[in-house]
Amino acid sequence: MKWRRWGVALLPIVAGLVVAALVMDVPTLLNPIIYMRADLGTLAMIAGLSLSVLVTVGLALWTRAEQRGEQRATNVRAQAAEERRRFLRRLDHELKNPLTAIRAGLANVVNGSATARQKEALASVEGQVLRLSRLTADLRKMAELGTRPLERVPVNVAELLQEAMTSARDQPEAASRQLSLTLPQVPWPVPAVPGDRDMLFLATYNLIGNALKFTRPGDAVEVRAFEDGNSVVIEVADTGPGIPKEEVPRVWEELYRGQGARGVPGSGLGLALVRAVVERHGGRVRLRSRVGQGTVVTMRLPVR
Amino acid sequence: MDKVLLVDDESAITTNLAPFLERSGFHVAVAADGEEALSQVSSFAPDLIVLDVLMPRLDGREALRRLRRAGNWTPVILLTQVGESTERAMALEEGADDYLNKPFDPHELVARIRAVVRRARPGRPPLTSAQRLTSEELLLDRRSRRAYVGSEELRLTPKAIMLLEYLMTHPDELLTRDRLLDAVWGWDYPAGTRTVDTRIAELRRALGDNPAQPRYIETMPGQGYRFVGDVEAAP
Repeated sequence: MKWRRWGVALLPIVAGLVVAALVMDVPTLLNPIIYMRADLGTLAMIAGLSLSVLVTVGLALWTRAEQRGEQRATNVRAQAAEERRRFLRRLDHELKNPLTAIRAGLANVVNGSATARQKEALASVEGQVLRLSRLTADLRKMAELGTRPLERVPVNVAELLQEAMTSARDQPEAASRQLSLTLPQVPWPVPAVPGDRDMLFLATYNLIGNALKFTRPGDAVEVRAFEDGNSVVIEVADTGPGIPKEEVPRVWEELYRGQGARGVPGSGLGLALVRAVVERHGGRVRLRSRVGQGTVVTMRLPVR
Repeated sequence: MDKVLLVDDESAITTNLAPFLERSGFHVAVAADGEEALSQVSSFAPDLIVLDVLMPRLDGREALRRLRRAGNWTPVILLTQVGESTERAMALEEGADDYLNKPFDPHELVARIRAVVRRARPGRPPLTSAQRLTSEELLLDRRSRRAYVGSEELRLTPKAIMLLEYLMTHPDELLTRDRLLDAVWGWDYPAGTRTVDTRIAELRRALGDNPAQPRYIETMPGQGYRFVGDVEAAP
């Protein structure tokens, strides 16, 4: 795109040359108004050249302004992301001590003598405390993803996906969904991706788990991977209810829960984690969805 | 009865945890910060200290450092807060015997206390404070993060080295997948146990260890893993 733009600057000079070539035979032109004698071809070339210079200068100024704008936007985004992470760290931190105390307190009570009804209530409270504990664990993952060093080893994508599939099949919903994995073998298999295997597993597993959670019995969930340029693309597609258009840009936000997610257990951090993992690998995520048809989530990971 | 010193500045934690530990069969004393802990160490003479990291006045890390500098090798379980992997690795390096991430299952704490007390060698530094550990032909250099069998260096990922380090500093101890996940990865998730299995397989391949007749890592079916080799601190 950038090169095409600079090509525009060459157009006037090329046009000047073309005109000069065309009017080679025309004799010297006398300008009756400003009394200038010049070859028409030379004039055309001079006009073309000066126009080219002007366009170049203009383009240079424009590009620079644009780059500055982009830089500023990137800075703002990075700053916002850093602030969000800091907030999540603090939240995690503030939740940890009370949760530790509650768990110890519960262990005390459960240890003691309680009536059947009290035991039932305690079990329910325990379940909720575990849920909160898992939330703090997810918050910690989020915070750590921003800072912890990544392993960079070649990760076999086929193996990774097969393993994530096997794990996902343990989910209760898996039995009633048509879960399939498509990996090209011809003319060559999907190349390895340099990265942190555990993180990539976490991301892949989260996506497949999401697809299972948000679809209905009988729906299809297809996992596929292919090579595209210098990237490997991993897709998880489903024939679920889909996500409304206005929610799509927000699904990657931390703790965001769409309408369809209400009533489905989860922390609201799953997709945010996926994005964080993929971006740490220098890749990009994307979600396409059509209400009533389904959803495709894409992770694009650089091979080099 | 083993004596446990519980150190945390959150009174909500100590008032709930102390009775639980008492009921689990320990004699418990409580301290609210590092300085109080250090003075209790001499008066109460605990068999083990459960030490929170983030505390006012003197934090857990500094208290542990002072304790070890004074040549006191009372076993310590650190309650880590920040939960970063570097913090966990540091906990072992600085002479803690084990660590737990908050919020933890109190039953897990009891299991950790029992394991650490059983492993403790009174008056001697724990394996967790050794820079180099050996077991048969295997040598782990913790500072350089390298492992060797005989003279040959093993090709291992950093995560596999961390896992090996945790296994070797906790020999002959049943370590559940969840425990390993929490200790080495610092997080758990539904399918995380498979991640542990993958890394154990990587370690076994590198070590040439046969799971059917393990020299190093034994699978405890349905429970977890155990490092079966004798581990010694190497000079």
